Amino acid sequence: MTTKSQKLKMALTSTPMILIYVMVIFCVVAAIRQPSFLSPATVVNLARASIFTMCFAICEMVVIISGGIDVSFPAVGCVAMYVPMYLNYNGIGPDNVFFFFGIAMLIGLFFGVINGILVSCLKLPPLIATLATSSIASGGLIMLLGTREFTSLPDSLEALYATNLLTYTSPDTGFTYPLTILVLVPVLLCVVVAIVMRYTMLGRGLYAIGGDKNAARIAGFNVRLLQFFAYIFCGVVAGATAMIYTTLMHSSTTTALMGEEMIIIAACVVGGCRLTGGHGNVGGTVLGVLLITLVQNNLNMLGIPTCWQTFAVGLILLLGSVLTSVQAKRQARLGKI
Amino acid sequence: MSTSEKKGKGMRLPGVMKDSHILTIIGLMLMVAVIMLILKPDAYFSGKNLTSMIFQFPEYGILAFGMMVCMIAGGIDLSLVGIMNLTGVLAALILKNMVQMDGTTVLNPGMVIPAIALAILVAIVVGAACGAFNGFIIGYFNLPAMLVTLCGLQLYTGLAYGITGGPAINGMCDAFKNIANGTIPGTSIPWVLLIFIAVLLVVAFIMKFTIFGHEIYFLGSNAKAAMYSGINTLRVTVLTYMFSGILGGVSGILITSHLNSAKSSNGSTYTLLTLLIVVLGGIHPDGGRGRVLGVTLSVLLLQMIANAFTLMHVSQNAKTFANGCLLIVALVLSVILANRPAKKKNTASAS
Amino acid sequence: MSDEVFLKLEGIKKSFGGVHALKGVNLEIKKGEIHCLAGENGCGKSTLIKAISGVHNADEGTIWIDGEKVEHMKPIDAINRGIQVIYQDFAVFPNLTVAENIALNGELKNRKKVVNWKEIHEIAAKAMAQVGANIDPDVKLERLSVANKQMVAICRAIINDARLLILDEPTTALTAREVEKLWDIVRGLKEKGIAIMIVNHKLDEIYRIADSLTILRNGRYVSSGPISEYDQERFTRDMTGRDISGEKYNPAPSDEEILRIENLSRSGAFENVSFTLNKGDVLGLTGLLGSGRGEIGEALFGVAPAESGKIILNGKEITIHNVKDAIKNEIGYVPEDRLTQGLFMDRSIQDNTIASSIHKYMKGFSLDDKAMEEAAYHWIEEIGIVAPSPKPAVRTLSGGNAQKVVIAKWLNTNPKLFILDGPTVGVDIGAKAEIHAILHRLAQEGIGVIVISDDLPELVQNCNKIVVMRDGKVAAQIDNNIDEKSLSDLLIGASVEEVESK
Repeated sequence: MTTKSQKLKMALTSTPMILIYVMVIFCVVAAIRQPSFLSPATVVNLARASIFTMCFAICEMVVIISGGIDVSFPAVGCVAMYVPMYLNYNGIGPDNVFFFFGIAMLIGLFFGVINGILVSCLKLPPLIATLATSSIASGGLIMLLGTREFTSLPDSLEALYATNLLTYTSPDTGFTYPLTILVLVPVLLCVVVAIVMRYTMLGRGLYAIGGDKNAARIAGFNVRLLQFFAYIFCGVVAGATAMIYTTLMHSSTTTALMGEEMIIIAACVVGGCRLTGGHGNVGGTVLGVLLITLVQNNLNMLGIPTCWQTFAVGLILLLGSVLTSVQAKRQARLGKI
Repeated sequence: MSTSEKKGKGMRLPGVMKDSHILTIIGLMLMVAVIMLILKPDAYFSGKNLTSMIFQFPEYGILAFGMMVCMIAGGIDLSLVGIMNLTGVLAALILKNMVQMDGTTVLNPGMVIPAIALAILVAIVVGAACGAFNGFIIGYFNLPAMLVTLCGLQLYTGLAYGITGGPAINGMCDAFKNIANGTIPGTSIPWVLLIFIAVLLVVAFIMKFTIFGHEIYFLGSNAKAAMYSGINTLRVTVLTYMFSGILGGVSGILITSHLNSAKSSNGSTYTLLTLLIVVLGGIHPDGGRGRVLGVTLSVLLLQMIANAFTLMHVSQNAKTFANGCLLIVALVLSVILANRPAKKKNTASAS
Repeated sequence: MSDEVFLKLEGIKKSFGGVHALKGVNLEIKKGEIHCLAGENGCGKSTLIKAISGVHNADEGTIWIDGEKVEHMKPIDAINRGIQVIYQDFAVFPNLTVAENIALNGELKNRKKVVNWKEIHEIAAKAMAQVGANIDPDVKLERLSVANKQMVAICRAIINDARLLILDEPTTALTAREVEKLWDIVRGLKEKGIAIMIVNHKLDEIYRIADSLTILRNGRYVSSGPISEYDQERFTRDMTGRDISGEKYNPAPSDEEILRIENLSRSGAFENVSFTLNKGDVLGLTGLLGSGRGEIGEALFGVAPAESGKIILNGKEITIHNVKDAIKNEIGYVPEDRLTQGLFMDRSIQDNTIASSIHKYMKGFSLDDKAMEEAAYHWIEEIGIVAPSPKPAVRTLSGGNAQKVVIAKWLNTNPKLFILDGPTVGVDIGAKAEIHAILHRLAQEGIGVIVISDDLPELVQNCNKIVVMRDGKVAAQIDNNIDEKSLSDLLIGASVEEVESK
């Protein structure tokens, strides 16, 4: 039996706690170097910057928990943000937020189904299969629709962009920091996914197939359907997220999101998802995303040039992975009960 | 003794011929050749086109060997492109600093050879170090190779980006450019062909005729049984990824020389391409199975296809699209082929 | 126990692609009865379980459940009729908590869409109370010991209104004390009127728990009856189809010492183990699971090295810290689980044969392919591996042949000491005898042979010295003038003493 102090010690050194320590240390160091770091503006910026990272990370987390991986979502996202803008540019379809998001999510659904077929029906290794989907999506997009760059939004999206939840005006500089209404999307997504993953058979089924596919089959779970769901969910959410990106960034290109998968997977892994499946939760992933966004956006506060950003993310991913291994070994040392 | 020898030889020839993957690849190559014979016979089968093909494939062909080695060992190396760019950037820096240039004329010709030698040496050593680092993290911490090498990709790309600060390093001396762009004096045989063949021979020899090569196959087939057979699995893992890293370093030299430029984001399509080559070449994604010959043929096949696309004026993105489709087809094929003989044998033994 | 029959099978036949796995099996299990299904490996026990649980449908024959004839049964039908199987790997989820593992299947069966955690904890508590288990319901399953995982699987089975509980070889991974606890639970379930079928082939365990017994051989029904009708002789005869041959392995006594172990210890595994092995000896090392029998083998081979003590091989003291040391000192080891630890299934027989001796074949800078092939041919002939050439993958071989490949791998290293853990598990009778003959021949040639096994008839027949381990200590060192029954008493003696002293 583990004693109370042991339990406390385990809780204090658990992965989420370590993430929080790292973030606190980061903030303290940044605040010492740049006192202006400690202002509501930083919070607003951080929230803004983490909107799409958070959405992508949540859908990637669902796939990872189910025992797979999806590296196709940046390419799928690019298709989903490009096609509606392309249609609008050519005067096809109404200028309506629901139309744009609907098209984007349909595109996500389409590629999600492809991934689902490849992984759950044809039983291909998820990494290689989704990598192939990625190149099909991105190659096909440019091949068919060319490489334009849309920098102006249709009116309906512009209106959405202008809707703010609150606006913080810095008393010193007079700069305004608007917080878009779209920040509610990741919040809502986190809450919904957290509830689904914990309180529905669907969520528990995803954990079950990630833990042991064979046992899940014997227990009566529809393994194929659950895998399908994971990839479709990932595709649909990625499509919608891409539209959010376009709205916020005023930009839609064929390659805008490419390379994003690294940061997203890093956020999931750092947040406690195991690539072998079955482990991870929304809370950890949120912490992982916050840590990565914090580092990405405020590296210069520590006096490190931004060109080292990629390296820093890699380092965090490395340390995060090693941490999971060390935690697993520590647990093993505690012995079986 | 003599009977067993005969038996052995009798088995070996059909062994290659029976390999369905190799036959499929050869069939596909013939198909591409026939199609091009109909569509663009003059342009495709010209000596000029042949030479231009040869200039292109070695850099990713060598990367594919790195990927192959790791996949046979039961892993994957997604960091190869990162290693390639990091070593390329370092080599370019050495050349830029040691060889003083004024426009295209070299001011200190005496330094050219030592500079190139040092650049190559550094590229290979750094490649080996990066690979060994991957291997150590994978083996010591028992982490999935996919995760660690993804992490490696980010680290090495980030390092290259940090060193260059963003912009590409351009304008190396002609002698260096000649490595990947020049031909052997007096002939039209490119140097890179020799380099590729040399690498191919080394890889083939290692995989087939050395203890290390066999240990890679054992590790990929069953890591636990390898441990129980007295194989130091950590050592083999580190060496495998180091081997892959060295090949990444060689590629780094070639691509830097080929493009006469080095930056952190070169060859971004190569990860997919090498995976495609390796899977198409019959390397099983679970490890332990596959031949160097299959991968070599698969490199040639893809170059033939890519070149056909270029001649037909199809865009780079159509190529990416086609490669994605091909990868899926190759994977589905490998899954079907892997299941078929097993079923055959079961029914055979049963009857 | 009532006389009401819960499950009745008649003339069940099943074949897979021409192989007849079941050639007419009868079985009758009464309510509240503990019924044992026995038979050697490959007799069709697992196919029969799958036919009962609806995983496979029988080609011929009829199944009655609770007096009702059932046709075309699917797994879910079997579950709805109260048939629950606990497989050897338990089919549990390592990443979920104990409570969830117990309750999830039932929730799924009831087509629940929403998870009520309070209810899950209640279900788990109820199930654990029923079997008398006491496991923290919030712990993830990956942290549990094998015995507790099994407990969770049992809880999960009974909570779904089990009326027939099938346990597939439930004791193989349990220690003596855990087996006792399991039997207590099984008896408790019997009291509740649940029929229990245990698949087992260890006579001593069957005697202590079962009410009645059915024996299968080669997919055929052999005999059935109350346990009291069976004695040692009939049991063995029905299982193997022949009488126990009186022939035991008795080499000419020799004073030439090959291996001496002195006070070998590793904390938590075994302590102060000493024994000697002379030329010609085949030494049997036995004990229940957790007694340290397997751990000694692992220590001698350096997988989990000993912490103190001496190992003297051929008069020279050696130290073994890792597998490399063991191989350097010419020790060979056939691991317990040949599929995951012994073989490279995708590689050829040749590659497997030379895997541990590959250094011998370096000629100049490269490996001598021809010499490797000759070595493989040599062993194919020498120990009778049935294969056309050394090229086919080991995957294509039968269990007995695959085990011979593992043996060939080590013989090719010319070992001075050869340790085999469970050398004939999953090997058919013919190949079993051949493997034993190989071991006897090696011993005669002066190689030290240690057989680690819990197959008591195998030990009595094939070893001339038997070391019995109990709780990590040597409990007895005996020769083969002992019958299986007394050997079995020696094995479990410890638990009896412990019970008394408590």
